[in-house]
Amino acid sequence: MNEGKIDVRFLMLMYALAFVLLWEWLLPVVELTDTEYIGIFLWFIGISFLFGLLRMKWWIAVPLKIIYLFWSLHFVFFKMPFFSKESVSLLISDLMSNFAIITTGDWGSITNPMRTVLFFVLLWMTIYLIRHWIEVRKSILLFYVMTVVFISVLDTFSSYAADGAVFRVMVTGLLLIGLLTISRLSAKHGRKMNTGMFAAFSLPLLFAVIGSSAFASVMPDKGPAWADPIPFLKSVVQGEGVGSGSGSVVSKSGYDPDDSRLGGSFSQDDTLIFSAVVPKKQYWKIETKNTYTGKGWEQTPVERSPVNIVPGSLFGASSDILEGSDVLRAEVTIQEQLPYLVYPYGTSKIHTRTDVVLQNQEETGQFWAMKDSEKFELDSFGIDLSEQNFSLKALQETSMDDYSLESEDFTQYLQLPNDLPERVSELATQITGSEESVYEKAKSIERYFNRGGFSYDQQDVAIPKGNEDYVDQFLFDTKRGYCDNFSTSMVVMLRAVDIPARWVKGFAPGETERNSKGKTEHKITNNEAHSWVEAYIPGFGWMPFEPTIGFSNLTDIDYDLETDMSDPETPNMEERERPEKEKEEVPAATKSDDGGFGSFFKPIGDFLSKHKWIGIIGSVLILYIVWKIYSNRGKWVPRLLVHSYRKRKADWNLYKKQYKSLLKQLERFGIKRSDSMTLSEYAKTVDTYFGGRQMGMLTAAYEQGIYGGYTSNLDWTSLQEIWEDLIIRATG
Amino acid sequence: MTHAQVIDKVLANIDKVMIGKRDISELSVTAMLAGGHVLLEDVPGVGKTMMVKALAKSIGATFKRIQFTPDLLPSDVLGVSIYNPKEMEFEFRPGPIVGNIVLADEINRTSPKTQAALLESMEESSVTVDGETIRIPQPFFVMATQNPIEYEGTYPLPEAQLDRFLFKLKMGYPKRIEEIEVLERAEKTVPIDHLETVLSIQELRELQDAVKEVNVDQTIKSYIVDCASETRNNPYVYLGVSPRGSLALMKSCQAYALIKGRTYVTPDDVKYLAPFVFGHRIILKSEAKYEGITANEIIERILTRVSVPIDRVKL
Repeated sequence: MNEGKIDVRFLMLMYALAFVLLWEWLLPVVELTDTEYIGIFLWFIGISFLFGLLRMKWWIAVPLKIIYLFWSLHFVFFKMPFFSKESVSLLISDLMSNFAIITTGDWGSITNPMRTVLFFVLLWMTIYLIRHWIEVRKSILLFYVMTVVFISVLDTFSSYAADGAVFRVMVTGLLLIGLLTISRLSAKHGRKMNTGMFAAFSLPLLFAVIGSSAFASVMPDKGPAWADPIPFLKSVVQGEGVGSGSGSVVSKSGYDPDDSRLGGSFSQDDTLIFSAVVPKKQYWKIETKNTYTGKGWEQTPVERSPVNIVPGSLFGASSDILEGSDVLRAEVTIQEQLPYLVYPYGTSKIHTRTDVVLQNQEETGQFWAMKDSEKFELDSFGIDLSEQNFSLKALQETSMDDYSLESEDFTQYLQLPNDLPERVSELATQITGSEESVYEKAKSIERYFNRGGFSYDQQDVAIPKGNEDYVDQFLFDTKRGYCDNFSTSMVVMLRAVDIPARWVKGFAPGETERNSKGKTEHKITNNEAHSWVEAYIPGFGWMPFEPTIGFSNLTDIDYDLETDMSDPETPNMEERERPEKEKEEVPAATKSDDGGFGSFFKPIGDFLSKHKWIGIIGSVLILYIVWKIYSNRGKWVPRLLVHSYRKRKADWNLYKKQYKSLLKQLERFGIKRSDSMTLSEYAKTVDTYFGGRQMGMLTAAYEQGIYGGYTSNLDWTSLQEIWEDLIIRATG
Repeated sequence: MTHAQVIDKVLANIDKVMIGKRDISELSVTAMLAGGHVLLEDVPGVGKTMMVKALAKSIGATFKRIQFTPDLLPSDVLGVSIYNPKEMEFEFRPGPIVGNIVLADEINRTSPKTQAALLESMEESSVTVDGETIRIPQPFFVMATQNPIEYEGTYPLPEAQLDRFLFKLKMGYPKRIEEIEVLERAEKTVPIDHLETVLSIQELRELQDAVKEVNVDQTIKSYIVDCASETRNNPYVYLGVSPRGSLALMKSCQAYALIKGRTYVTPDDVKYLAPFVFGHRIILKSEAKYEGITANEIIERILTRVSVPIDRVKL
């Protein structure tokens, strides 16, 4: 190994180990959050390390990485493998709109593409840091310790099971640290190590790591000291009698059919209610309620009789699902019986034993099973659900006038108590005033909770007394509460601006695990009991909204907008009108433009999307050709230089450039110059190789210019001839 | 005749006597032109004295020789004041140190007191006896020799005094073929007796002035300083090269460049001279001594680590 310069093979090994460590950071992120597509991030890490290995110049590497980043965004959010004019401009405008949001510090409103960009940037910086640690500091202990802490904190406080991760991190981390130490020591003492020597030095380390980890893995495992640390820690910090101080009611979290009086404290209840095997996270709905009393929710008696459904048959509005849409299958296993079935959005079929009949109360959304005209408790059932996709463009075109076109009667979903304080509806009007579409109005209320100074808390949440209104109290006085507060407030505010809305009860997605068969399983306990909002959007029907801070709306919205998405928070009418005027004029131009640019690439895109393999092989081939041209630059660059320098006036400045390009070319040719070699020493090596003393003459002239500072006696024309001759000889 | 040609004549003259020692004579002339002194360290009989004599004879300078012994006193080196009954006053009789070229033979065999007297007059180019200071005429060039310190009955020179010498050189045994040549030449005559003077003292002074005109580029200065500061950071080195060492390297590079017929210093000069200038100016840690690493090896290592400036740099 050369001092200062790290052996490429060694570096490759280091990067591979660091890659594994970084992977361990990504795994829990993907498992615990909604981040799908771990692949694109891993590729990014891989590419970054590869560029490092190839010692690529930054001005090549950075643009390539940015292109990759942009492509990833494009791929994730448009599901198209190739850029189109429309999608690129849309993506850019979406990203640009975030800068205003960032400057105002409204973190909750940052759009998903921007979040992805920020995540990429974070990864990028981390990789840069790791490379610095490996190549310059030759010490990775800090990163290793951080990884261990990160993994163990996640293992302790989240559902992430880090059993395997701890082991992998241990082995890779120790190897990384050990090997770096060996290389650092050899550099410190100026010992050059060849591969064999390095291997010999690493062998004891390898034995120690493998031996100790093998020993550790066969040792019996002691159970955890705390079954679940969070309740334990909470009881230590807060004392035993949680929430009893202010005389409020402490109830256990969980599904409770009675919601007439909301508020009060919660205590945690880890009882498993049901588990569901389904690839994606789902909100599990039980029922909706329509009447807000000022203290809580009630359901006005339903007049219509329930609909009978045969298990396994399509039902409801979802029967007109498009054939192309993906159908997911959810397998639900009930542990604790609930009065009604739980079901995700997009449910189209419910499969269960054939000797029961399912009944559905459409108004409340309740499902239950009947056997021999008695309510029957199912232990398990399967659900076919189609993923719902909403077009943002269409959503933003909805208008309040569209309600008149709907046949349904919304009176019950616009109900509000007579004594609802004025300021609630004033606030609702103020929040939604600047928005045109129904969807944006609803969204603005949903977003309001993120920035209105609200906090999420389950303890000592106020219960309205006397004439107090539950929503009014939360919105203006306490601003502290849990899902019921947020969801009820949103429903009330929606109704206050004449958007039909109802209150939904059910369960949040729960903790995600990988079960023994390798499938994604969600465990839903009483702690996941949740409430949210459904608003009726004309043309779309009932759409879920998630106002509770800390929860995220899982509804898939397609970013299919064509025009500028100006800052959604800016309540500026004029600005919002302008783009619309432009919209009327612009399309003609865009169309014609598409005819030239887009129509040229579209067939290629179509062809490639049909023949993916040809696309992949083709791009690999193109990359290979580019790489070949680049790596053979030693053959063609000198000729180019000779040609271009011949036209210029021969003088010292040109000669300096010529001489330096000759040094580079000789290096590419294979005659290496170490940094500590003087030019005349190098010239001797070169002249020994080629014969003659051309390099010696060139070098003497160069040294005289550089170190002597005078060039008046030099004959530029003959030097240029010698230079041309030598650089062409050095092309091999 | 250019400066280089003049010097070449001197070197060719020395070559008539010294066989295969062109490098040592070149370095000695370099030290002389740079106004420094040389410490030759080697076993007896390899031609140290012959070398100095040949040099002295070639430039027609006065040549003095001091053989150091354990009982030599400072006054034996510097000179004494003797009472002159005729003039009724003390009269200073200069010692052997007052000469153009002085061979101080086996200086590590004399007492530290006498060593100090020699080294001080080397540094100051003057002799002080009984409060009277006498300047030693220029050019003044001392070539001291010492037996390798492993030999018994020696007083090793203190490190601080070693840097009074510009170079520390090793002569080494001649090659087989060269030694045969030595015998051949000495078979019938004594070669040194037939040596001619090829350079006058006046010409030598001119050469010494020309050395100061040799250009040292900023990049070269930074390279010298990089090398010097590396010796201070080396894990094996207890005490690195002082700024005086960097200065000495620069001056000797100027002289060497002149010998090579250049008007500017190149990094090759620095690399070539650094071991001779720095070798006796660094003090090694005991670890290095146990591992058998010598100062010159450390300097070689440092030179393979410091990158050579090949372009103008902004400082």
